[in-house]
Amino acid sequence: MTGPAPRVNGKPDLSGVWQVEAEPRAPGGLFGLGESPNSKYFRDILSDFARGEEPLTPKGAEILRRNTQPGVVGPNLKCLPDGVPHADLLPEPFKIIQAPGQIVMLYEVLTIFRQVFTDGRKLPPDPSPVWLGYSVGKWDGDTLVVDTMGFNDLSWLDARGHGHSEDMRVEERFHRRDFGHMDVAVTIADPEVFTKPVTINFVERLLPDTDVFEHICSENEKDSGHLPGTTK
Amino acid sequence: MKGWLVEFGPVHPGLVESIMKKLTLLAVGFILFAIAAPALAHHSFAAEYDANKPVTLTGAVTKIEWTNPHVWIYLDVKEESGKVTNWGFEMGSPNGLMRAGWTRKSLKIGDTVTVEGSRAKDESNHVNARSVALAGSGQKLFAASSQGQ
Repeated sequence: MTGPAPRVNGKPDLSGVWQVEAEPRAPGGLFGLGESPNSKYFRDILSDFARGEEPLTPKGAEILRRNTQPGVVGPNLKCLPDGVPHADLLPEPFKIIQAPGQIVMLYEVLTIFRQVFTDGRKLPPDPSPVWLGYSVGKWDGDTLVVDTMGFNDLSWLDARGHGHSEDMRVEERFHRRDFGHMDVAVTIADPEVFTKPVTINFVERLLPDTDVFEHICSENEKDSGHLPGTTK
Repeated sequence: MKGWLVEFGPVHPGLVESIMKKLTLLAVGFILFAIAAPALAHHSFAAEYDANKPVTLTGAVTKIEWTNPHVWIYLDVKEESGKVTNWGFEMGSPNGLMRAGWTRKSLKIGDTVTVEGSRAKDESNHVNARSVALAGSGQKLFAASSQGQ
């Protein structure tokens, strides 16, 4: 896994099944079992900041307050999609297919996809707001830089409940440092909710012996009925 | 498998500690599975289940729902009083379980299994399963629990 990254047409080939590196919530994990690791940014996109010192605008703080009220649940509990970059941070893997002119990202959860256009097109001036936005990509040396906008304001940035506006802009920088590891730096700029752009760094690990599989969440959703305070 | 076993926690710290010690003994096996099949992202474990209510229940499988977002299995559990109660156990997604070594045929109706997990906060007979041990083969499977989120 530490051998050289494969290359195609002079650039690193990012194709593969990837899963974010994760850590247990406490040393040794809950009960010392190390079970259920997930990324701290999956849990809290602002986990690099001390509580109370998060760079939230009043609107950003209000969204968090609203989303943490009893009975309020995130979109994914209702089998609605995860947004960007949260979809990169899920415990479930996603697959990258690098093709000429576009890079496709297939997210296992909800069986959804992104198309990152690398054919030189510009971002559209007024795209229809959607969960995963509109993405274009270009290479900066061996790093793929993906610029995404055109989001709706429905997705949560993390499990904690941070939200964003339709004006959010996300830059993801993907650098496959070797065969088995991809360094990712994500910068989220949304002046409506953050007082300054927020950058997080994490690692995606190649999963060489699995695939992404269909996952249609709403087949048999039962959790919402059991949650304290939720509408049955 | 010696009879039916029902354990409830937490009630008093000693019981919790003893359960945790038992669980720790199993840590190596769990960690192997945990690496292969991390948590399901569908919901927050903490909102729905209580890690301070560990339970170990043994019973016969009455129903298997091999569906998204969570696989559910149901067991008829005989309590010490002799009363039989049906319990539901939430596990990971079919894909998560598959990566942990399961197939949809790993369990059959009527199989006797022992499940370890955490009980629902709403006190219903629902448990977030962490592991499932098959009485017949002794095989133990990590349940791709969402605990930890």
